[in-house]
Amino acid sequence: MMNWTGQVVVQGISQAVAAHYAPLMKAYGTKIVAGISAGGGGGKIQDIPIFDLVEEAMDQVGEVCLSLIFVEPYQVLDAASEAIAAGIKQIIITTAGVPPLDMVQLLQKAQVNHTFILGPGSGGMIIPAKTWLGRLVAEFYTPGHVGIISCTDTLSYEVALELNQAGLGQSIAVSLGKAGIICSTFVEWLPILETDPETKAIILIGQANGNYEQAAAEYLARRNKKPVIAYIPGIEFPGDGIRGDAATIIANQLSYSVPTNSTVKEKIATFQQANVLVAQRLGEIPELVKKVLKKS
Amino acid sequence: MELLEYQAKALFDEIGIPILPSVSIKNPRDLKQLQIPYPVVLKSQVRAGGRGRAGGVRFVDNTIDAIAAAQAIFNLSIMGEYPQVLLAEARYNAEQEFFLAIVLDYQLRLPVLLGSAQGGINVEALLEQMQMVVVENEFSPFYARHLTKKMGLTGKLIHSVSTIIEKMYYLFREKDLDIVEINPLGVGTDGKVMALDGKISVNDYALGRHGDILKLTTPTRSDLRSAPVSSPPLSLNGVEKNGEVGIIANSTEIALATWDLITREKKKISCCLVVGETPSGRLVSPTFLAQQLEVALEEALAVEGLQVLLINILGNAATTETVAEAIADYFQPPVESTVPGGEERMERPTGYLSRKERKPGSQAKSSKGPIAKPVGLVIRLVGGNIDPMKERLASTPVYWTENLEKAISKTISGKK
Repeated sequence: MMNWTGQVVVQGISQAVAAHYAPLMKAYGTKIVAGISAGGGGGKIQDIPIFDLVEEAMDQVGEVCLSLIFVEPYQVLDAASEAIAAGIKQIIITTAGVPPLDMVQLLQKAQVNHTFILGPGSGGMIIPAKTWLGRLVAEFYTPGHVGIISCTDTLSYEVALELNQAGLGQSIAVSLGKAGIICSTFVEWLPILETDPETKAIILIGQANGNYEQAAAEYLARRNKKPVIAYIPGIEFPGDGIRGDAATIIANQLSYSVPTNSTVKEKIATFQQANVLVAQRLGEIPELVKKVLKKS
Repeated sequence: MELLEYQAKALFDEIGIPILPSVSIKNPRDLKQLQIPYPVVLKSQVRAGGRGRAGGVRFVDNTIDAIAAAQAIFNLSIMGEYPQVLLAEARYNAEQEFFLAIVLDYQLRLPVLLGSAQGGINVEALLEQMQMVVVENEFSPFYARHLTKKMGLTGKLIHSVSTIIEKMYYLFREKDLDIVEINPLGVGTDGKVMALDGKISVNDYALGRHGDILKLTTPTRSDLRSAPVSSPPLSLNGVEKNGEVGIIANSTEIALATWDLITREKKKISCCLVVGETPSGRLVSPTFLAQQLEVALEEALAVEGLQVLLINILGNAATTETVAEAIADYFQPPVESTVPGGEERMERPTGYLSRKERKPGSQAKSSKGPIAKPVGLVIRLVGGNIDPMKERLASTPVYWTENLEKAISKTISGKK
């Protein structure tokens, strides 16, 4: 069971981005109870106390449901491991540029320990007017019943703005991040939004060269509890897509041309085959949402 | 970052993957002192594939032939790439040739071992026989043995080939590789294996923690000189020469979404630039964003035939203000009075140039004033306090909007 409204610690709070956002998140209503920065223990950022270790913070503040990680890329694996060892079950990694093999290792650790991880390179998530975890632009989101799962933050903003104009607020917005290896993908988030009582419809925003849309379509073909609307930008773009499976990588490496033109069209077709509504343009999304909400 | 064959082989040698005696040659004259007995193979050290077919690999039997062949290879560009180095290597007669590779599969989010009993340059045959083993948990040599069995290997080859895979995996893990490949892995008459060619690609994000690899590939002085000071805006391919609309956006995806909307209205895109995005996705500072935007404006406005430039940037209030200010500075540079040398500054039409000018030694770019060009400007920004910037640009024909659809229809309809 996910818990986004419990106590939160910020690892790497002395990083400029973290020091900027942590007090803002707290003011928004997020229960930021401690910051972690080795060597900074005893200090404060505004009224957020800083500890050297995650464990020390937990001794002081009690149970922590989530850690937000802002440390430097090469420290991410270690910081996440520290959070896992301290028993924290949810982690959001905002740091981008993390070596992918570190994330492969972290994923395996997370599976063993039943830890849920969002990121790396994630803008975080927001439950409008309730809790704000990360660095999405909070003012673009208004409370309501539409869930947004997106790789790209800017498109998530765009969709939220479109929805707001149509009088449709959001129940949750999740930023998966654009890294090659992300710890949670559409497939991990769709069931979470499906069980969220506030969410009545889900908008899935894919990426032209993303690796996780195919699996999402397969998941949705099997079960579709709540209406899902997919949008992938770039259908008119003539450039090639990139596929990240081992066979394609090797074929490309051997200069053997695998037909990959317009992966966007291909992805859209896959969603359509799975009976997922696909928005052809951003402006169409609110109409589609209204249509599916009327039906259900 | 992709390493050259001789650099990959240096790493192979370090961990005990057998390679042939070889020497890297920077000048054909170096071949006079070659310590490797003839016959010898000379190989062009380029990253492009298909160098064999292109004539970048030559067999030579003596010094005279070797020097002539080396000169030819140094002067042969393969897919536009001239070699800086040749590899002179002993010849080897392989009985069999295998293909081995380890890559990170981004869909599975796991490393995958690949092998084909049909190695070498016949790519179709190689791929047809390709076998894979996914490393689902912590690596252990049994994964490698599984692969050799799938490849159809028997007897002693199971052990000798899986030992190579083990070592490749060690490199893959230790050096943060995207790809490590041996093709072909030659098997001699004695059953011994030899890495005859190799490819290694190191993950760019991990380079910073592998000083040894950075040392291998230290850029030459000329590379350093031409290296850009900061990363330029990303420019999307696929634009049309006779396009009329330019796009500047602050993520690839929003650029693509904008692209779709404009193309659907039968307008052609002549340039599409992304600012505020780094390859790794790291956050950029406002100063960096403003600088990139200036470069992007310069680039876009230099595109021939451009009629309308749409700037679509979506971020927090601070970003919006930074962007609006950078645009205002570009088109209406702030008046700087009481500064000595101000007269010279007045000649510069843009903020970009006037700011540049403060740095000694920086050359001024073209002085074409964007104002002189009949380009329509559509600026889509949301939030922030940008009224002062709008006022500064009051005399420039700019259409400001918070709404994307409005921005698009203005871009489509209006030249002004």
